[in-house]
Amino acid sequence: MEWADFLQSFANGLLIAGLYAAVTLGLTLVLGVMGIVNFAHGEIVMLGAYNTFWLYTLLGIDPLLSIALSGLLLFFIGLFIYRFTIRPILNDPPLNQLLLTLGISIFLQNLAMILWKTDSRSVITSYSGMSLSLGVVNVGMTRLLTFLIAVGLTLFLLFFLYKARPGRAMRAVSENNTASWLIGINVQKTYLLAFGVACALAGAAGALVSTIMYTYPMVGFKLSLKAFCILVLGGLGNIPGALFGSLILGLTESFVGTYVPEGSGWAEGISFILIMIILIIKPTGLVGTRRE
Amino acid sequence: MNRSFSWKKALFIVLLLLFALWFPRLVDAYFLHLAVTFFLAMILASSWDILARTGQVSVGQAALFGIGAYTAALLFKWVHLSPVLGMLAGGVVSVVVAALLGYLTLRLRGIYFSITTIAFAEALSVIWLMTPAVTGGAMGLSTPPLFGGDRQQAYYLILGILIFCIGVVWMIEASRLNFAFTAVRENEEVANVMGINPTRYKVLAFMISAFFTGFAGGFYSHYNTYIIPYEVFGLGISIACLVMPIFGGLYTIAGPLIGTMIVKVIEEYLRVTVSYGHQIAYGLILILVVLFMPDGVMGIWRNKVLPLFRTVSR
Repeated sequence: MEWADFLQSFANGLLIAGLYAAVTLGLTLVLGVMGIVNFAHGEIVMLGAYNTFWLYTLLGIDPLLSIALSGLLLFFIGLFIYRFTIRPILNDPPLNQLLLTLGISIFLQNLAMILWKTDSRSVITSYSGMSLSLGVVNVGMTRLLTFLIAVGLTLFLLFFLYKARPGRAMRAVSENNTASWLIGINVQKTYLLAFGVACALAGAAGALVSTIMYTYPMVGFKLSLKAFCILVLGGLGNIPGALFGSLILGLTESFVGTYVPEGSGWAEGISFILIMIILIIKPTGLVGTRRE
Repeated sequence: MNRSFSWKKALFIVLLLLFALWFPRLVDAYFLHLAVTFFLAMILASSWDILARTGQVSVGQAALFGIGAYTAALLFKWVHLSPVLGMLAGGVVSVVVAALLGYLTLRLRGIYFSITTIAFAEALSVIWLMTPAVTGGAMGLSTPPLFGGDRQQAYYLILGILIFCIGVVWMIEASRLNFAFTAVRENEEVANVMGINPTRYKVLAFMISAFFTGFAGGFYSHYNTYIIPYEVFGLGISIACLVMPIFGGLYTIAGPLIGTMIVKVIEEYLRVTVSYGHQIAYGLILILVVLFMPDGVMGIWRNKVLPLFRTVSR
C-alpha cells in the first residue's frame, strides 16, 4: 500500500506538472525574448479557460477542440495587448513594466468578475469521469489527456524555436537584439509575434485548465504565482528550466498533499514558500540566468 | 522637496487642519465613515511611498496590513488589550516582521523583491487558513465596535495617525535620509561607494512603512469589527497600497494623499454601481499612469498646470 500511495502521488504530480509547464511556457517565452515578466500572463490563461467554458456550455464545443480556438483568440488579443501597452514601454525600467503588466492583470481579473461573477465554473465532459488503471496507479482520463497535450505544446514550441524561421529569429533576438537588428531581423515584428505566440500558448493552457480545475476570475493570479515559482526554480527565461521547475512544483505539491495532514490545503502554499526560500538563498533563481 | 518655508503654504496647512478637526460636526455618519476609510487609505498610500523611495516596489503590503490587523484582533481576544494599544502592537509586530523579511529579502532587487512580497502575503493567507485553532481560519475574527461604535472618536484617532504619518514623511524629506533613500533608489552601486549602506536604508524604510501599515491594519480590524484572511492578506489591499501613491505622484508628500482622494472617489462610485470587480479602476489607472502620466497627478500639476499660471502672471 505504501508503494501504491507513493506511485499514485508521483503520477498525480507528474500530470499536474504537465499543466504547469503549459501555463509557464508563454511566460518563459516573453521573459526570454523581451526580458519582461508578464504579470498578466495568468489572466490570459484565465481568459482561455473562460472561452473554453463558454464554448462548451453554450455551443457544446468539446474542450479539446477549444484548445486551438482559445489559442487563436488569445493570439489576437495578445497582439492587441502588445501593440497598445507593451510596445510603448519596451525600453522602460523593469519596474514600470511590472506595474503595467500588473495593471493589465488587475484589469482583466476585475473585468472577469464584472462579466462572469465570482462563481467557480467547471467543464464536465462525457469522458471526465473515466480513468485509466495502470497496475496500482489510477489516472484520470482528462488529466492524462491534459498532460499529453501539454507535452505536445512544449514540443511544438521547441520545434518552432529551433526549426521555424520566426522562432529562430526569436532566439536570436533573445541573445542580442542589436546584433539581430544588424543582420536584418525585424526586432519589433519578432517581439510582436513572440508576445502573440506566448498568449496563444496561454490560451491553449487555459483550455486545459478549464477541464481539470475550477475556472474563476482569480484562477489566473493563482497560476501566475505558480508560474513565477517555476521560473524561479528553473532559472528565468529558458524552456528546459521551466520544465524542470514545473516537475519540482507538481511533485512537491502532490507529495505534500498525500503525506502531510490536511495536505491539500497546505499544498496551495508550497509555491509561495518555495519562491521565498529560493530567492532568499539565491537571489537570481536556482539555476542561474542570463539576465539580471 | 521644497524645504524653504512659505507663509502661504503654512496658512493652507493650518486651514486644512482646522477643517479636518471641524469636519465631523458638518457631516452625517456616512460621510464620516467615508472620511475614516479615506484617511486609512492615505496612511497606506503614504507608507507605501516611504518604501518606494528606496526603489523597492512592494506588491505585498497586505502581509503587513494583515499582521497588524490580526495582532490587534488576537490580542483583544486573548487578553482584552485596549484597542488603541492593540493597534500600536499591530504596528510594532509588523515592524519586527518587516525587519526580518527585509533583512532576508532586500538584497533582492526590482522584480524579485516584488514577487517575494506577493508570495509572502499569499503564504500568510494560506498559513492563516490552515491554522484555524489559533487564527480563526477562514471564519475570521471579530471584535466589538471601536469606542463602542463612536465614529467621531475613531475619526479623530485615524486623523491623528495620518498627521503623525505625514509628519514622519515630512521629516524624512527634510533630513539626510531623503538623500540616502534617493541615492539607493537611483543607483545602489554608487550609493554604496558613497558610504551609504543600501541594505540598511532599505530595511529602515521597510520598517517605517511597516509600522504605519500595521497600525492601519490594527485600526481596520477594530473599526470594521470583523476580519478574514482572504481580505486582509488579499491582493486587493496590496494593489490599493501601490496604485494610490503611483497615481498621485511618487516621492512627494501631497502625491499619495491626492492620489488616494481621487482613486477612492472613483472606487466608491464603482462600488455602488457594480457589485463585483470595482477594483477594475485600479487596473486601468495603473495602465494609464505608466503609459501616459509617468509622474502621476503631481507631475501633471507641476509640468502642465503650474506653467499656465506663470505665463498668465507675466
